[in-house]
Amino acid sequence: MHIMEGFLPWQWCLFWYIIALPVVAYGVIQIKKVTDEHPESKPLLAITGAFIFILSSLKLPSVTGSTSHPTGNGLGAVLFGPAAVSVLGAIVLVFQALLLAHGGITTLGANIVSMGIVGPFAAWLVYKGIQKVGGSPSIGIFLAAVIGDWLTYVTTAVQLSLAFPVPTFGSAFVKFILIYAYTQVPLAIAEGLLTVVIFDYIIKLRPDILRTLKVIGPAKTGETAEKSPEVA
Amino acid sequence: MINSGEEMFEHTLDDYAHSNGIKNVNEYFKVLFAILTMLVSLISTSPVIPLTIFVLVTFLIIFKAKIPAKFYLKFIAVPFSFALITFVFMAVFFGTGTSVLNLGIFNLAVTVDGFNLGFLTLARIMGGFSCLAFLALTTPMNEIFSILEDIKIPQIVVEIAMLMYRYIFVFLDEAINMYHSQETRLGYSGLKRTYKSMGLLASNLFIRTWLRGEQIYITMESRCYGGSIKTFKSRKDIGTKNILLLLSFESFLLLGTYLTWGLKII
Repeated sequence: MHIMEGFLPWQWCLFWYIIALPVVAYGVIQIKKVTDEHPESKPLLAITGAFIFILSSLKLPSVTGSTSHPTGNGLGAVLFGPAAVSVLGAIVLVFQALLLAHGGITTLGANIVSMGIVGPFAAWLVYKGIQKVGGSPSIGIFLAAVIGDWLTYVTTAVQLSLAFPVPTFGSAFVKFILIYAYTQVPLAIAEGLLTVVIFDYIIKLRPDILRTLKVIGPAKTGETAEKSPEVA
Repeated sequence: MINSGEEMFEHTLDDYAHSNGIKNVNEYFKVLFAILTMLVSLISTSPVIPLTIFVLVTFLIIFKAKIPAKFYLKFIAVPFSFALITFVFMAVFFGTGTSVLNLGIFNLAVTVDGFNLGFLTLARIMGGFSCLAFLALTTPMNEIFSILEDIKIPQIVVEIAMLMYRYIFVFLDEAINMYHSQETRLGYSGLKRTYKSMGLLASNLFIRTWLRGEQIYITMESRCYGGSIKTFKSRKDIGTKNILLLLSFESFLLLGTYLTWGLKII
C-alpha cells in the first residue's frame, strides 16, 4: 500500500506533495484550534498517533495466507475525524519511513494523499452514513474500515497508473487494480473484522472514552459536516 | 528490543541511529547528504547514477557508519524483492515496442520499452532506498526533530511527533508483553483465536494508551506545562569543509546524471 521510495517520477512526487499540503495544513489548523481550547487533548492526539503506528506494525494473517498490516485508518478516522487523522497519518508515515523503512521521503506526498486523506475521509463518511440510516455501530465500523482500505488501494492504483501510463492511463489502471484486487480485497476484509473486534471491546470495556471523544472533537465534526451535508 | 517479539513486530532501526560510526557527524550534513542524493537518484533518466549511488551509500553505511552488513541486507531485502517483482511486472506488461523475449504463454513478451522502464524504476528504488536507509540508520530522531523545528514546521506538529515518538516505544514494549502472554496461553493457535487475541490486544492497548494520555497531561501540567514543550538545543555548525565535500559530491553525481541522460540498458 505504501508507494516505495524512488518509485514515482519526480514530477508526480511534487504533484502529490502539492495536493497533500493544503489538506494537512487545514488539519494542523483544526488540531491547533482543538488543542488551544482543550490543552489536554494534545497528549491524547500524540498517543493516538502512537497507537496507529503500533497497529500498523501488527502482522495480520489473512485468508490468502500472506500477511499484511492493518492501517488503523478506519478506526482513527471514526474516532477522531478525518482532519486530525490527516495530520497524525502524515507524522505516522514519516515514522514508518524512518523507523521501519515502509514508504519513503520523496513518495511521502502520494502516500499521505492515499492513506492519510482519501482512506480516512471515505471511512468517516461511510461510518456517518451508516449511523444516519440507523445501522449498528459494528456494521458501520466494519464497512468504514473495509471501504476506507479499498479506496486507499484505488487511490494508490490511480497514482501508479498516472505515473506509468503505459500504453494508456486506463489500461495501466486496470493492470494495477487487478493485482490489488487479488491480494488486497481479502486483506481489507480481514482488517475490517479486526477493527470490529477492537471497537466492540472498547464499547464493552470503556464506553465513556467513546463518549468523551465526541466532546473533544466538536469543531472537527462540525467543520467536516459542512463540507458534506448529505451524510452528516 | 531488536530480538523480542520477532514474529509479530517489525524491527526498528532506532537502536542503530543512536549508536553508529558517524553518530557525531553534524546532523545537517547527514540529512542534506541523504535528501540531496535521493533527489539526484530520482531525477536521473538512466539507471547508471542511481546504481552508483546505491553502491556508494551502501559502502558508507557498512564501512563508515559500521552498521552490520547482515542487518543492512535484511533491512533492504523486503523493498528490493518488491522492486524486483515490479521490474518483472513492468518488463512484461508495460511495453509497446519490439519484443526481445517471448515467454510463450498468453502471448506475453518482454519488450524493450518495458524492460528499460522497469530497470530504471528498479535502479531508482535501490538508489533512493539506500539514502533512506542512511538517514534512518545514522540520524537519531531527536536531531531530525530539531531540524524540523529549524525549518519552521508548526510547533504543534513537532510536539505531537515528539510525544508520539516517545510513546511508540513504550507501547511497543507493552504490546510485545501482551503478545507473549497471549501466546503462552495459546492465544494464537488458529485463525479465529488469532483474530480474537489480536482484537483484545489492540483494544486493551487503546484503553491503556488513553489512560496514559490523560495521566501524561496531569503530570505535565503539574510540572508547569503551559502549552509548549521546551527542548534543549546545542547547535553545531555544519562546517565549511563539510559543505565543500557535500557540494562536490552532489556536483559529481549531477554531472554523471547529465552525461548519462536518457541512456538505456538495451
